[in-house]
Amino acid sequence: MSHNHNHTHNENSGTAVEAPLSEGLGRRYWKGVEELQNDAKFVQLKNNEFAEHLPLDEIVQEKSNDVTVTPRRDFLKFLGFSVAAASLAACEAPVRKTIPYLIRPEQITPGVSNWYASSYHDGYDYCSVLVKTREGRPIKIEGNTGSSVTKGGTNARIQGSVLSLYDKSRLKTPMANGSPESWENIDKEIAMKLQSVASAGGKIRILSSTLISPSTLKTIEEFGKKYPNTKHVVYDAVSCSAMKAANKESFGVNEIPSYNFDKAEVIASFDCDFLINWISPIEYARQYAATRKLNSGKKSMSKHVQFESTLSLTGSNADERYHVKPSMQGAVLANLYNAIASKAGASAVNAGPVGDLGKAISQLADELWSSKGKSLVVCGINNTAVQNLVNGINSLLENYGTTIDLDNYCHLRQGNDADVAMLMDEMTKGEVGALLIYNSNPVYTSPMGKQFGEALKKVSCSVSFADRADETASACQYICPDNHPLESWNDAEPKQGKYSLTQPTIAPLFSTRQFSESLLVWAGNTTNYHDFIAQHWSANILKGKSWNDVLQEGVLEGEQAAPKNYKTAANLSAAADAVSKMNVSGIEMSLYEKTGVGSGIQANNPWLQELPDPISKITWDNYLCVAPKDARDNSWKQGNIVEVKANGVSMKVPVVIQPGQMPGTCSLALGYGRTAAGKVANKVGVNAYPFISLVDGQMMYAAGGVQITKTVEDDHKLAATQTHHTMMGRAIVKETTLEDFIKDPMAGNEKELFSVKIGKEEKKLTTEELSLWDEHEDGNHHFGMSIDLNSCIGCGTCVVACTAENNVPVVGKEEVVNSREMHWIRIDRYFSSDADPKEHESGDIKAMEIPSDNPKVVFQPVMCQHCAHAPCETVCPVIATSHSSEGLNQMIYNRCVGTRYCANNCPYKVRRFNWFRYTDNKKFDFNMNNDLGKMVLNPDVVVRARGVMEKCSMCVQRLQEGKLVAKKQGRKVKDGEINTACAQSCPTQAITFGDYKDKESMINKMWEPEGRSYHLLEELNVQPNVFYQTKVRNLKGEAHTEKNG
Amino acid sequence: MTNAYLYKSTKRLLLLTLFTAFYTCVAFAQDGEALFNSNCKTCHSPFDKVVGPALKGVENRHSEEWLLKWIKNAPGMIKSGDPDAVKLYNDNGKMQMTVFTNLKDEEIKAIIKYIVDVKPPAASVAAKPTEEGGEEKSSNTWIYLLVAAFVLYLISGILRRTQHTLAQALRKKQGVPEPAAMTRWQGFVHWSRNNKKLLAIILITLFMFGSVKAWYGLMSIGVTQGYKPDQPIKYSHKLHAGDMKISCIYCHSGAERGKVAGVPSLNVCMNCHKFVKQGPTGDKTEIAKIYKALDYDPDKGTYGPNPKPIQWTRVHNLPDLAYFNHSQHFVVGKIECQTCHGPVQDSMTVAYQYSKLTMGWCIDCHRRTPVQMANNAYYNDYHKELLAKYGSDSLLTVERIGGTECARCHY
Repeated sequence: MSHNHNHTHNENSGTAVEAPLSEGLGRRYWKGVEELQNDAKFVQLKNNEFAEHLPLDEIVQEKSNDVTVTPRRDFLKFLGFSVAAASLAACEAPVRKTIPYLIRPEQITPGVSNWYASSYHDGYDYCSVLVKTREGRPIKIEGNTGSSVTKGGTNARIQGSVLSLYDKSRLKTPMANGSPESWENIDKEIAMKLQSVASAGGKIRILSSTLISPSTLKTIEEFGKKYPNTKHVVYDAVSCSAMKAANKESFGVNEIPSYNFDKAEVIASFDCDFLINWISPIEYARQYAATRKLNSGKKSMSKHVQFESTLSLTGSNADERYHVKPSMQGAVLANLYNAIASKAGASAVNAGPVGDLGKAISQLADELWSSKGKSLVVCGINNTAVQNLVNGINSLLENYGTTIDLDNYCHLRQGNDADVAMLMDEMTKGEVGALLIYNSNPVYTSPMGKQFGEALKKVSCSVSFADRADETASACQYICPDNHPLESWNDAEPKQGKYSLTQPTIAPLFSTRQFSESLLVWAGNTTNYHDFIAQHWSANILKGKSWNDVLQEGVLEGEQAAPKNYKTAANLSAAADAVSKMNVSGIEMSLYEKTGVGSGIQANNPWLQELPDPISKITWDNYLCVAPKDARDNSWKQGNIVEVKANGVSMKVPVVIQPGQMPGTCSLALGYGRTAAGKVANKVGVNAYPFISLVDGQMMYAAGGVQITKTVEDDHKLAATQTHHTMMGRAIVKETTLEDFIKDPMAGNEKELFSVKIGKEEKKLTTEELSLWDEHEDGNHHFGMSIDLNSCIGCGTCVVACTAENNVPVVGKEEVVNSREMHWIRIDRYFSSDADPKEHESGDIKAMEIPSDNPKVVFQPVMCQHCAHAPCETVCPVIATSHSSEGLNQMIYNRCVGTRYCANNCPYKVRRFNWFRYTDNKKFDFNMNNDLGKMVLNPDVVVRARGVMEKCSMCVQRLQEGKLVAKKQGRKVKDGEINTACAQSCPTQAITFGDYKDKESMINKMWEPEGRSYHLLEELNVQPNVFYQTKVRNLKGEAHTEKNG
Repeated sequence: MTNAYLYKSTKRLLLLTLFTAFYTCVAFAQDGEALFNSNCKTCHSPFDKVVGPALKGVENRHSEEWLLKWIKNAPGMIKSGDPDAVKLYNDNGKMQMTVFTNLKDEEIKAIIKYIVDVKPPAASVAAKPTEEGGEEKSSNTWIYLLVAAFVLYLISGILRRTQHTLAQALRKKQGVPEPAAMTRWQGFVHWSRNNKKLLAIILITLFMFGSVKAWYGLMSIGVTQGYKPDQPIKYSHKLHAGDMKISCIYCHSGAERGKVAGVPSLNVCMNCHKFVKQGPTGDKTEIAKIYKALDYDPDKGTYGPNPKPIQWTRVHNLPDLAYFNHSQHFVVGKIECQTCHGPVQDSMTVAYQYSKLTMGWCIDCHRRTPVQMANNAYYNDYHKELLAKYGSDSLLTVERIGGTECARCHY
């Protein structure tokens, strides 16, 4: 191991700590590369949770050159004045006005929320949702359980979309050539220009993202009737164009299929982040998790194998994960095809060498073949030849008609890369007379963005429908801002025959108009868009059903056609030959999307920017992930600025050393580096879209021959939440393998016993039996939560949901750097290692560095555990935190004096301190600093003042509301009726909330102390009301350790 | 003395006689008024057109005989083609008058008598003297106290003077020289030296009194009990909830459904004030404010295009950090509105904050008040558990079910 010791900072670490790192059944976890390397700074942070340096003056003081020392006399003056002012202010209660409705709408009762079923689609994400409104303001979004597509799940971006409604960067009026204009004038001008383009025979083009709204498509049709020279070009920033092309070649169906992950026993995924970013991730995450639940005696789960270079969220959830360079994926697929073809008796194709992956491929082929018809191979590479090979494999495995459904196909990701290239060509030639750009930002997202911007100047009438003057819109003559989806009427057909409606939950905040409405106006159609949808529905979709019923339920799902089995007709040898030529030399870079910012549509949303990346735990940035080995070899350090060159583009980015990144590869996230999205997003990170290249006419989200050179620039500050919450090396996540779990449900969940002498007898007891504390008496309820680590995929939806529900402030990058993020729930991510525990015992912790190239990953959501014997309660000098008879650990802000003893005494480190006033403070210029952004606040939850502690309340406002509803109706609370924000938002239902006193409740069924259930840090006997379920990997027993990478 | 007494008695007797006579006179008319209020008032006013015409002068427009017939069976008369009846029917929007076969002739006559006698409301200002009398009584107490204090002061002055004179005389007699004149301060010091105990008692009493005052003063900071702000409309709860007996929930319907009881929206006001166009004193200015806010024309019954909401001043202001839900208390707890809001219907011509609305005040009530568990299935098993533990329903206070825990109201 000495070859690993050649980095300089080990001098520090040798003396600094000997603290053991997390240990779980011979597999060890560490919070990040800093912990692994025992970085001096990490050790310092770990030993000193609260940073020493408090830059109070910088924040409080307006001018930095002010004298920060206050003379004693001045101090006394101020003191005297403020005491007098405070007492005067206290004597006079402010006069508060109240303005009732003139005529109150029947359905609105002030103080009672209304819920509306709707759908959200922004060209990237689709979700059927329920919108919670209070006094006419949407304040929270939940999944609609009535939808068979998203089934009540959401993701971080859907949760965050309600804040994007109140984005102050949105345009307030339509704009003509950069100045505000009235709709009347703008309509006249545009209609005139369109007319003149049409009469001159010029081309009219509508460039949009994927549109899943049948009515919107019909308005485009209407528009086309008026202007016959119109063509609709569909462009997705993150494209699946090749899948459609391949399906056309293979099966003659030019569609994206629907996937049924829930029917799959074996899932093989190639560079495909289907849990969070690929096509319909909310749907897939729910299906995937369903195959991996192991409750109430279920003892089988799906097997998931991932082949990728960068550690994706999906890859981190895989049972087995193998490193493959992007350019090698084709070869791996060709080999897999051959391995399966030999079993199926089909002819082999030309397959290149795959190095040491041969064994893994043949093993996977065996598993797939034995689950024929119940397996699934998916691939996220946007290349027709590669997708043809994938189709070939699925076709051999007879997966069409079971796990893949080409008959009830998916309508998402319809982008056509060839059409986009053609449009560019036409524009450059000056053939396009009018260009209408809807929900699409090619100047920013296209690899040829600059050229697009230039070509745009040649278009005589350019109109953007963007909600803000973004990169493309600001280059257009006219901006006709579209409504936010929460202000819009619309419909959606995410899958063939599965419809949903979008209804406005607030009147448009600004003078904006829907895209479809604008098209109708310009087409001379006087019908308003709502009536247009209603007419279209009653003529084509409703089929006798009531419009109001559908509006109320949000969805209309007709009979589905029985999916057929398809056999590929594509020329697979040709495809195999094509992929064998894809091999490139040198370092390869893959471009990926993060769970928060995604493709960058909602980049100006501070909730999403502050959501830590699930893998790197870094907020407010994108960065170049490199393999630890490459970092060692090139002596790159975390935060170093490097220059990346690829595809003729060069950029300066900070380096992040990412365990799990394949040596010889790197990765960079899309969606950052905005220049015209608004104050929050601008200048955050770099724009990675220019690294996209066109390969075989398709956009390739990877680049070869990447050159990385270290610059002499100062290191970049990375705002990571990862090293701030060490669990001090104790066993936190319990884990086992499926084989062991089948033998013993308590595998990996062995309870620690303590020897005690009672009288003369020596007894072995659990901590609970040893308790010195009196038990609390239960009231009518005893609330608690279960978190299934086998279902949690680490996506962070719960974090954003909690932020929205509980008015959690955004603190910004600087404060995250200072470890002062305010999230009430965090998702801890631990990397594992297969190092020999014996070496660890001899004191050589560095041994664990060896397998860090491809670690196993576990995610663990941690919020307040609501301990029955809470250590925080006993140390509070003012009893600002106490225990309730319903099992909650209560935190009373107005009683708190801010000693922070409780945070110091909390073994889970879940308490967050308000270092500053985050409202109406220009130092924290996020949504709470303007009246528009404050509209998203939940009126049932207090906005905390500076200097108080806060933490998860288990959504006590929801508990109180749910109890009250039951009381008023004179009945028991139904199980599942009350839910916390995190549990409700979870796409995989990993979190279950319930009442232990209700004997029939789900939570009581989940509590299996003889099985997978355990309390975090059980040995402390703090008796949390939150418990966890052991993580189980679908692997062979403990003796069999996976060594790969 | 005797004279005064006689005078007083005579006056009282005279007053009593006069009052009795007056009462006897108005008794019949009042009977008519009661009948009018219970039978006619929904559609008629003596002075204004409501649904039916204004009734003042009706005795001149129709004969008594005709009126008796009409009131008992108006539709019949219209059907029979009586020209007056048909005209009346046509003039009033072809709305038929209700049949009043239950009214006896004398009763109808009483009603007509009432209409004849009734004066426009502006003139009828009564009831004031009694109120003033009440005030006089309370101010009398003060006068007595002042007089007593003055008398005591006089007595003490006289006593001091006497003592001084006696002491002077004594000194003169004994040949003791007059003590040197002292300044006031020297005198005080001299006095306090001789009266140390008394001084100590006075100081301690003053200190304790001051402390208690200061304590209550500090405790009352931010307590706005009795807060009675001016409102844009001189709305009287006493009139609406008391005299007219309108249920609180009719206007404050939110109390049944959600956390805020709510200031009623103007459409609720208009449910009545579409017809009730003036107050009991004949004043129209306040009701006109509603019409103005809604841009409503009471004569034509049409709404204009420029409504403007009314800005009321909140009387009850809970701090944001406290969560309070009306429906919890009103529906589940079955607490009367008056428990916290005071005698709204009896005396609140202007709404004011009756209770302290401090946390101590909330907690006190939660400690005292039993929970309404008996007929609420929400509490079923829990109720039994608690009964077994505490014995009787009256002991199952809100506190016993965790109603004084912090996070019930603070989150």
